[in-house]
Amino acid sequence: MRIGVYLCQAGTGDVDTVGLHSIAGYAANLPGVEVVRELGVLPKIVPDELAAEIRAERLDRLVIAADTPGFFKPAFTRAMALAGGDPKEVWLASFNAFGASNGISTARAKSVLACATLGVPFALAAVPDSTAVHPGTVIVGGGISGIQAALEIADAGKQVFLVERTGTIGGHMAMFDKTFPTLDCAACILTPKMVSVGQHEMIDLMTYSEVAEISGSPGDYFVKVRKKARRVDVDACVACNICADVCPQRVSSEFDNGIAERKAAYIPFPQAVPNAYLIDAESCTYVQSDGAKCGVCAKKCPKECIDLDQADEIVELEVGNIILATGYDVYDATKIERYSYGVLPNVLTALEFERLTNASGPTGGKIITRTKRVSKKRGEEWVFDVEAGEPPKSVAIIHCVGSRDTNHNAYCSRVCCMYSLKFAHLVTEKLPDARCYEFYIDMRAFGKGYEEFANRIKAEGTFVIRGRTAKVFAQDEQMMIRGEDIISDRMVDIPVDMVLLSVGLIPAHGSADLATMLGLATDDDGWFSELDYNASPTETERGGVFVAGACQAPKDIPDTVAQASAVAAGVLKSIATGRGLNSRADLALSDIERRATSLVRI
Amino acid sequence: MAIRANPKLIEELEIYGAQDVSKCYHCGNCSATCPFSKDPYILPRRSMRSLQMGLERKLESDLEPWLCYYCGECSEECPRGAEPGETMMSLRRWLTSRYDFTGISRLFYRSWRIELAAILFVAMLTGLGFFLFGMSQGNIHHYDGAKAFLPGEKIHFFDWGLAVVLLVLLATNCARMWWFTIGRDKNTRVPITAYIKSAYLLPLHFITQMRYAKCERKRPWVVHLILMLSYVTMLVLIMFFVKRMAAGPAIDWRVHAFGLAATVGLLGTTIFAVRGRIKKTENHYKHSHETDWMFLILLIVVAGTGILQFILHRSGLDLAANITYVVHLMSVVPMLGLEVPFSKWSHLAYRPLAMYFAEIKAEAARAEARASQGVRAPQAA
Repeated sequence: MRIGVYLCQAGTGDVDTVGLHSIAGYAANLPGVEVVRELGVLPKIVPDELAAEIRAERLDRLVIAADTPGFFKPAFTRAMALAGGDPKEVWLASFNAFGASNGISTARAKSVLACATLGVPFALAAVPDSTAVHPGTVIVGGGISGIQAALEIADAGKQVFLVERTGTIGGHMAMFDKTFPTLDCAACILTPKMVSVGQHEMIDLMTYSEVAEISGSPGDYFVKVRKKARRVDVDACVACNICADVCPQRVSSEFDNGIAERKAAYIPFPQAVPNAYLIDAESCTYVQSDGAKCGVCAKKCPKECIDLDQADEIVELEVGNIILATGYDVYDATKIERYSYGVLPNVLTALEFERLTNASGPTGGKIITRTKRVSKKRGEEWVFDVEAGEPPKSVAIIHCVGSRDTNHNAYCSRVCCMYSLKFAHLVTEKLPDARCYEFYIDMRAFGKGYEEFANRIKAEGTFVIRGRTAKVFAQDEQMMIRGEDIISDRMVDIPVDMVLLSVGLIPAHGSADLATMLGLATDDDGWFSELDYNASPTETERGGVFVAGACQAPKDIPDTVAQASAVAAGVLKSIATGRGLNSRADLALSDIERRATSLVRI
Repeated sequence: MAIRANPKLIEELEIYGAQDVSKCYHCGNCSATCPFSKDPYILPRRSMRSLQMGLERKLESDLEPWLCYYCGECSEECPRGAEPGETMMSLRRWLTSRYDFTGISRLFYRSWRIELAAILFVAMLTGLGFFLFGMSQGNIHHYDGAKAFLPGEKIHFFDWGLAVVLLVLLATNCARMWWFTIGRDKNTRVPITAYIKSAYLLPLHFITQMRYAKCERKRPWVVHLILMLSYVTMLVLIMFFVKRMAAGPAIDWRVHAFGLAATVGLLGTTIFAVRGRIKKTENHYKHSHETDWMFLILLIVVAGTGILQFILHRSGLDLAANITYVVHLMSVVPMLGLEVPFSKWSHLAYRPLAMYFAEIKAEAARAEARASQGVRAPQAA
């Protein structure tokens, strides 16, 4: 077998992170390799010239080694056919697909190339050894994906530790009013699952806790969890609300995304699991004054379950598998000044609107605009006032805020088109007299029933305008939106009372720390890298560490739930057999070469 | 009429400085950002679209590129990095070459070597001509008086001759611009009255460049206005008051004042532009075509030698003043003779004309819409 190796780069960004020249030297010494060419960045490949070389060197196999070699494959296949060779003998050594271009290693790139020259799929050759697995599992993140994975594993009778950063599980889904495209009530789907988690004997629920340290090796991890001081005894609390009633401190509510306030003693929402209050140390007068002031809640609590002097506690867990389900945050809309978010009172982000329109939200689901309130104590502020607030006469929804934009995030956040359409439906349903405008670039309605949903919204009378608008501004007290209606070929200046920004998704804060803790690769945007996007979308380079839901990449609820169940299957497989995989990163180049060679002999 | 598409149009425009046109995914961000985007002239996305589709003839008849002042907001905000601002700039270059019937402009924009060779050739020819002319009747050691090397009146006569040639060339280009944008458009019928009614726009835009002031950042407008006014002042001084300038030691103080102000304006703004293009301080300085540099260098040489010969003459160094004067003419003639009709400087005519044409075209379209009652424009969404 006479082999030709062609090294090139399809990406023009951070070129040559793998060290192509040293890989070329390595390739020249591989058995059967006759020709090694370094073609550089985005080479223009002329099939005729290449075919001439193939004939002259009598090559039987071509290997394209690049970050994304598939980019060049058509030219090589054509050349092979022109030279009279077998077009099937064009092999790809894809550095991107197997994690070599994330700055991991030149060694990884070499092993990918070695497998390609031997004609062996990398994923077959680079199988780590197995290792014994401890039956416990820790899940980081208590959103819908963490809940789903926890229930699947616990229902199979295995121990799960569910670690959640906030005071309740439920994550973002708990904030939503409806789910797309079925317009089901989100809480009706989620809360039964949350209650099951709370009551499950195999699930050790650790809310208001964070992962502090992870050590150990695949199959036998030691996880230190910091249980932040909740200052309320979860088992004793009956959620009577007296502590919140007497608490004098008001701060903006995280669960309501800042559109309403909560007390320092609070429960995120009435259906929280565990259904217990907590004391927020940062806003509590007692804690901030080191016990000198206040302390009213502890005195008034009928169950005497408040301990304001409670300290953080570290719990150590020994587990076999770790599931990362840390989810997402939304893009900070203040970074895009032209949308006037944070400047004009009635420009809302998607999550803020979710709370506004939610029947259990601060306005009881009434869609109203903010009104100005002046008080001596707090000055001038814009608030949602159920009595004084007027319903908006027109609402504009702007897609792709912070997404598909090289100045912000280049990727598509996947869920925004659909939730924007859902908003349009909620607006037209609740306010039949209001005009609703959607400004979009491309309507990405890609899932089951999604396209039909989009058509339905258009039929409901929403003005769906192609053209991402560029400006939200105030003109004589009236909010205006300016954009180009591309299909009708004209400029539009529309007076609106409310603007909803369909903000994109970004990795949750703290996920970078988690990746460092685990030595896990993330992609350029900060999402956790999976082992193989097509074949192993739930596993990672690190053995015994799985990813579920939006922490891997933006995902909607159906996909998240599906992936969480898939992760549970992987975890249960390793527990059932007692064996799990080691980290692929620990495999030496020589191991992979040896395995690949042995596979060729078969 | 059949619509022809030129699939290589983007490649052609790239020679004129366009970049990344094919990256555009038509979100409309740029049009909404642009302060000049107003029906019926939506820019710059429409031009990006025409380019991607290769609609050469439509682009030829578009006025949009001339309505853009390159504040660069569109390029800054573009989510794809498609550089719409630079595309509009390159379209202006391309249009300049289209309006010019001689084909010289096209050659210049496509090859800086040809442009440089032409400039040098004209410069040498001018230098030789004036030198021989000076030798034939004067003395190189005398700047003025009877034996003057280059007598003022003769040069003045030459100035006017050159001006007439340039105006004729420019006028033919402007006529072609009219033909492309209005004349051959069978759908738009502009009544003579409309031409007369809006004629005031021409001098207005020429002198004030008030549209430029609509950009969010005002500095480029101020710089450009100073540069333009300095040039006009200089031109007026040379064309109409040349005698007073060359009137020996007793120069009218008013000529002095204007001359000084124009000199400072010229040098200041040119140096600002050169520095800006090197350091890329402004959006419209980020990408420089070879012709931009050629223009700036000529500008500096013209202004510098003009002032130097004045100073030398005032200092009594007649020989040096005469030589500098010849060099000055060697740079003025190619600059006026080549840049005004064939290159960057032609925008002095196209810009105000475009505003004028745009107004009367829009007015004609409005009149037509009024006339065709019954067919209502779709309601604003």
